[in-house]
Amino acid sequence: MTEALATGTAGAVLAPDRSGARITARLLHSKATLFWAAVVLVVVLCAVLAPLIAPSDPLKGDIRDGLLGPSAHHWLGTDKLGRDVLSRVLYGARTALLSAVEAVGIAAVVGIPLGLLSGYLGGWTDRILMRIVEGVMSVPFLVLAIALISVLGPGLWKSMAVVGVVYAMTLVRLVRGEALAAREELYVDGVRVAGAGSGRIVFRHILPNITPPLIVQITLMIAGAIIAEATLSFLGLGAQAGDASWGSMLSDAQASIRESFFLALPPGFAILLTVLAFNQVGDGIRDLFAREAKAGSMGVNPVLKAAGQGEAPPAGVFVDDPVLSVRDLTVSFPQPGAGRVAVVQGMSLDVGRGEIVGLVGESGSGKSVTAMSLLGLVPDPGRVRAASIRLDGRDLAGLSFDELRKVRGGEIGVVFQEPIASLNPAYTVGDQVAEVLREHAGLSRAQARERVVSLFGQVHIPDPAARLGDYPHQFSGGMAQRVMIAMALASGPRLLVADEPTTALDVTVQGQVLDLLLELREQTGMSILVITHDLGVVADVADRVAVMYAGQLVECGPTEEVFRRPSHPYTEGLLTSLPRNVRRAGRLPSIPGVVPPPSAWAEGCRFAPRCAHARPECSAGPIELAAGGRDRAARCVRSHDLTLTGVRALAGEPSAAPLASVRIEKKP
Amino acid sequence: MTITTGDGTARDAELLRVRNLTVTFPGRRSAPWRRPGKVVAVNGLDLDLAGGETLGLVGESGSGKTTTARAILRLLRPSGGTIEAAGFTVGAFGRRVPLGYRRAVQAVFQDPLGSLDPTKVIGDILAEPLAVHFGLRGTERDRRVAALLEQVGLAGHHLRRYPYELSGGQRQRVSIARALAVEPKLIVLDEPVSALDVSVQSQVVNLLEDVQERTGVAYLFVAHDLAVVRHACDRIAVMYRSRIVEEGPADRICESPAHPYTEALLAAVPDPDPARQRIQRRRRRELGAPAPTGAVPATGCPFASRCPHRMPVCTESFPDWTPVTGGGRVACHLHGGSPTTPEET
Ligand SMILES: Nc1ncnc2c1ncn2[C@@H]1O[C@H](COP(=O)(O)OP(=O)(O)OP(=O)(O)O)[C@@H](O)[C@H]1O
Ligand SMILES: Nc1ncnc2c1ncn2[C@@H]1O[C@H](COP(=O)(O)OP(=O)(O)OP(=O)(O)O)[C@@H](O)[C@H]1O
Ligand code: SF4
Ligand code: SF4
Ligand SMILES: [Mg+2]
Ligand SMILES: [Mg+2]
Repeated sequence: MTEALATGTAGAVLAPDRSGARITARLLHSKATLFWAAVVLVVVLCAVLAPLIAPSDPLKGDIRDGLLGPSAHHWLGTDKLGRDVLSRVLYGARTALLSAVEAVGIAAVVGIPLGLLSGYLGGWTDRILMRIVEGVMSVPFLVLAIALISVLGPGLWKSMAVVGVVYAMTLVRLVRGEALAAREELYVDGVRVAGAGSGRIVFRHILPNITPPLIVQITLMIAGAIIAEATLSFLGLGAQAGDASWGSMLSDAQASIRESFFLALPPGFAILLTVLAFNQVGDGIRDLFAREAKAGSMGVNPVLKAAGQGEAPPAGVFVDDPVLSVRDLTVSFPQPGAGRVAVVQGMSLDVGRGEIVGLVGESGSGKSVTAMSLLGLVPDPGRVRAASIRLDGRDLAGLSFDELRKVRGGEIGVVFQEPIASLNPAYTVGDQVAEVLREHAGLSRAQARERVVSLFGQVHIPDPAARLGDYPHQFSGGMAQRVMIAMALASGPRLLVADEPTTALDVTVQGQVLDLLLELREQTGMSILVITHDLGVVADVADRVAVMYAGQLVECGPTEEVFRRPSHPYTEGLLTSLPRNVRRAGRLPSIPGVVPPPSAWAEGCRFAPRCAHARPECSAGPIELAAGGRDRAARCVRSHDLTLTGVRALAGEPSAAPLASVRIEKKP
Repeated sequence: MTITTGDGTARDAELLRVRNLTVTFPGRRSAPWRRPGKVVAVNGLDLDLAGGETLGLVGESGSGKTTTARAILRLLRPSGGTIEAAGFTVGAFGRRVPLGYRRAVQAVFQDPLGSLDPTKVIGDILAEPLAVHFGLRGTERDRRVAALLEQVGLAGHHLRRYPYELSGGQRQRVSIARALAVEPKLIVLDEPVSALDVSVQSQVVNLLEDVQERTGVAYLFVAHDLAVVRHACDRIAVMYRSRIVEEGPADRICESPAHPYTEALLAAVPDPDPARQRIQRRRRRELGAPAPTGAVPATGCPFASRCPHRMPVCTESFPDWTPVTGGGRVACHLHGGSPTTPEET
């Protein structure tokens, strides 16, 4: 379960896009759906081209040629009245599809607008409409159809109109539900504030957003309508005797079942195949959309072992007693219009025993992908290669998925950004943490429960025993993050990887979670890799900092030294653009521009287009990470001749005096 | 009424005036047969904002900031109080909000991706308000859209992109451009930079300032990070559990807070200087008791359960407003009688 959760989150965080083009591409990849779509196409062609391809008139026959078996002249034989069965099947496709189009067309024209209005307006409109819908739907469909037809008189078009009205009710319900959900979306508030009226919001904004489920439903309805047509015609309520309809063909076949058993097969098979095809296409489309929503994270890829040892990183990257030691990690993804591109390149990083390392960088710099690689959780099209990833001396590169799974959740614990989204809403938090314990430590139910209570206590969840039975939505963000941390701690990991553990929390709660991490390190001696884009968080908890830009490590060293005197202009930019609680002078400093997409990363210094200190030599060729002193390293050709601004040291000795405290004046 | 702004000047032109705003939501049922209780999300809130000014509204998650913003935007109907903005009395609106109000008061939301229709390209998103408010179409509209893009530092090739094809900062620029399209007097910004990288946060804050300088628009800036708000705002109002507990000029609030909750919020802002942060962390531990859950107590100070300065009187009555030296006012029993002095005691 943890597995699925973790992968799901990874995918959601990394989802690069979800356009119609991608759906089409997936559709082309799904062979089964493609096959059934081809079947649908054949049926449609038969229906359209029936007058051209049918060997004879479906309605005329010579009674003397009745009940002939298949022959070169009549491929599927003839019926009792001597009509050519093949022609009747082809024309039957016409009847079936036209009836389906009529019924579903009526359903769409009536159902979609009513559903949209009902869902969007709510209130009385909604209540009245829904009562009507429920009333209509409470009567079994066939009973309703027969009752209405007995009033209207039989006839295919009339009966299919009745079917259409019944289907409209189903659509009203579906569309209403979707519109109700869409109404709460922020983009609807956005266009409402922009001044759009209800009609515009409903038809121009909500409707396009709910088309995917509608397409699925309508495809499935076509299949239903084809069955309805056949049923009604079979009962004599639809197509009239003699008309070419699969239903009436079946009914004819029944009449002459004693003389010929074969007659039932062609229409029966036609119905089966057509309905199956439409259903399969509908399911296929639904699948695609569902997968799209999960950003296509269907599988993960293990870490491949790179040939050779890779180049040794400069001195500043090493620590003496590493728990984790990554060498020459490269991760690539196919990028739109650029083929396969390395989004993390030549990454080397050590985390010492009991050390907290902060991994920082802007969005898209490759922090999460680096973390996923350690856990073997890089989603599917991604390819991971490393010279070595050593955890306590054991190399994880080259391990299989199952071996890696024991490590992750065992020796490595993980915490993600969105605590509530990372927990399964259907299970109590107690069960979710216990599940991890039972899987990795093999504890019994009772033992696991006891351990969960003590873990909850350890992460300071008040009244832990009582909260075991609560569901994730009953927790605030901060408390849910404590549950995630408890889950990560469950197996006593040596390394905790926390990807943006506080980004979704407000500052006060963030402080408490960071304090918890510091306390846990103190108690258990585990190492922590904290990924964040907030340098304040790094300053708060990290002993060492690693700065990433555009997929590369650009600076690395002890936090205090790096922040006081950065050696890379990117670190300087990050530090100076951080808003601090000090009086402000002029415009806020910021780094111009944004991180370019991986396909546009330059050969030379990747930061050059945004760097205030750039020179021509910076873009001449790849720049190596170079040691700068015993425990620091930077990737900048000018790091030695530049004096960069870091955080200002406090004037004078830091005292214990509060920075900004309330001025208290007692009431007289 | 005059308003004291951050630089100490008084402005008369009042743009937004909120009095005694109260918003309640139906709460959870304690049992299926019981009536649902009430959640008071905003309680007796007063706000004033002058033209061309920026007011920050800060407070922790769940304190009622977004609810206040949505009430002003008339995206929800308050249960009490009055809102007057840009010459309109918001309480008098029926189901359909007058277009004139939509022109005067615009919004930018926290989630830059969620607040843009995913099925529309940027060009269409920006063209919509121009069509709705000015009936513009054709080349004239395209020209205006191009000008808007340029105003927020985006290029023409962004016009045919979908929101998910832009970075977070670029999306937030699109939201700002959409708000600017109708030349509003007030933009309500609900956590406009919380989802952005630090480097991009300051780009967006700078952009907002440039726009204000050029157009004289006023901002209501909702956020939970006091350091960002300090840099972006003239004045700050601090909210705690549905009420405003302190307000005043930005620098005064951040240098000498008068309310213990403001102090705790300030202690929670991490500083990138590790030495300074060590002190800050000690402070944070002293002040940062976890937020209580459940309903706000009916009487007394809402902060009492966490307050290190709590006195017996605090649980008995809600503190009155007391003016603070240096500007603004505070609702706390520590202060009272004459205005307090900047020295510590
Ligand atoms: N599943 C994927 N398919 C294609 N590209 C991907 C995928 N996952 C990540 N990438 C690319 O890898 C790069 C690095 O992404 P990553 O998520 O590691 O950045 P990050 O530093 O964690 O950023 P953030 O702060 O936004 O989380 C991005 O440019 C992204 O487009
Ligand atoms: N539609 C709603 N129904 C019920 N309760 C609500 C609703 N919207 C908000 N609330 C409640 O009102 C209170 C204030 O919420 P609000 O969203 O205004 O807080 P906020 O200050 O914006 O917090 P955040 O920083 O998390 O955005 C919360 O307790 C919330 O649970
Ligand atoms: S190598 Fe040149 S462009 Fe790159 S960071 Fe250093 S100074 Fe700037
Ligand atoms: S009124 Fe009392 S409890 Fe409330 S903040 Fe002031 S001192 Fe603390
Ligand atoms: Mg990430
Ligand atoms: Mg909010």
